[in-house]
Amino acid sequence: MPAYEFAMMFRAMPKSELKTCLKRVSQAIFDRGGIIKNIENLGFKPMPYKTSSHGLVHREANYFVLKVDTATQAVADLKEEYSRDVDIIRQRVYKVQDETENSACTLEEEMLPPAYREDVQKMIKIGKTQVNRFTYKFKYNSGLDYYPFQK
Amino acid sequence: MALLKSLLNRHIFYNTPRVIIPAVRLFSTDVKPAEDDAPADIENPYKKERKQCILCKLNIKPDYKNYRLLSQFQSPYTGRIYGRHITGLCKTKQEQVEAEISKAQNCAYMPYYYKDKTFLKDPKLFDPSNPVRSHRF
Repeated sequence: MPAYEFAMMFRAMPKSELKTCLKRVSQAIFDRGGIIKNIENLGFKPMPYKTSSHGLVHREANYFVLKVDTATQAVADLKEEYSRDVDIIRQRVYKVQDETENSACTLEEEMLPPAYREDVQKMIKIGKTQVNRFTYKFKYNSGLDYYPFQK
Repeated sequence: MALLKSLLNRHIFYNTPRVIIPAVRLFSTDVKPAEDDAPADIENPYKKERKQCILCKLNIKPDYKNYRLLSQFQSPYTGRIYGRHITGLCKTKQEQVEAEISKAQNCAYMPYYYKDKTFLKDPKLFDPSNPVRSHRF
């Protein structure tokens, strides 16, 4: 089961209601055979932009991040269910990228003068295989007995 | 008079017997074999340190939940993301930062059109008016 992060924003509500809401949200995950590894509370804070959902405009939200392991098929189902939930203002699901060993910094190569940069050298090489349309001259001895372009 | 003097000098110089110094130099100690005296095979001590971008140097992986860090790459006037020639990041890190910023904005952690006013006094990682490459803004 791949790892997902559910970034949820709940509407402003008292703590007891929030508790039941979180229970409802997590129960939906458990029902589909998912596992919750962690629930992060980022706090109640004003949103950077107002959001309207379920016929109400919200300017503050309770921010939560659920770290979940669940089947890929279940994710769309969960999103659909959460979108119907009146208490959820906004929800985003991101797949967690597996920790790949970070490659070395290429800043040194990028700071070189253009002629020494690999990508520029590649471009020059490609450019040399193309016909330069600024210097291209039509040859009249090409077998055609008429000039094919507009004069 | 001067001409006479120089002529006389040259005549005397060429005809007087001189001491011939031999090319061999004499030592009181034994001469070392040439192998000991060869230059040591060491790394270039003047080699410059490899340049690294700030995120690679500190080994930081940009994350959309760390929106305070991400907001440092955002313009305080327009909320737009600064380019690579201003931030001084390597290509991969710049791409990651841009992707994570758009994620954070989508999650309503970060505003689109301005920078969060609580982060305005954060330390500057780079100087936008002094870019690596010149630009027209």
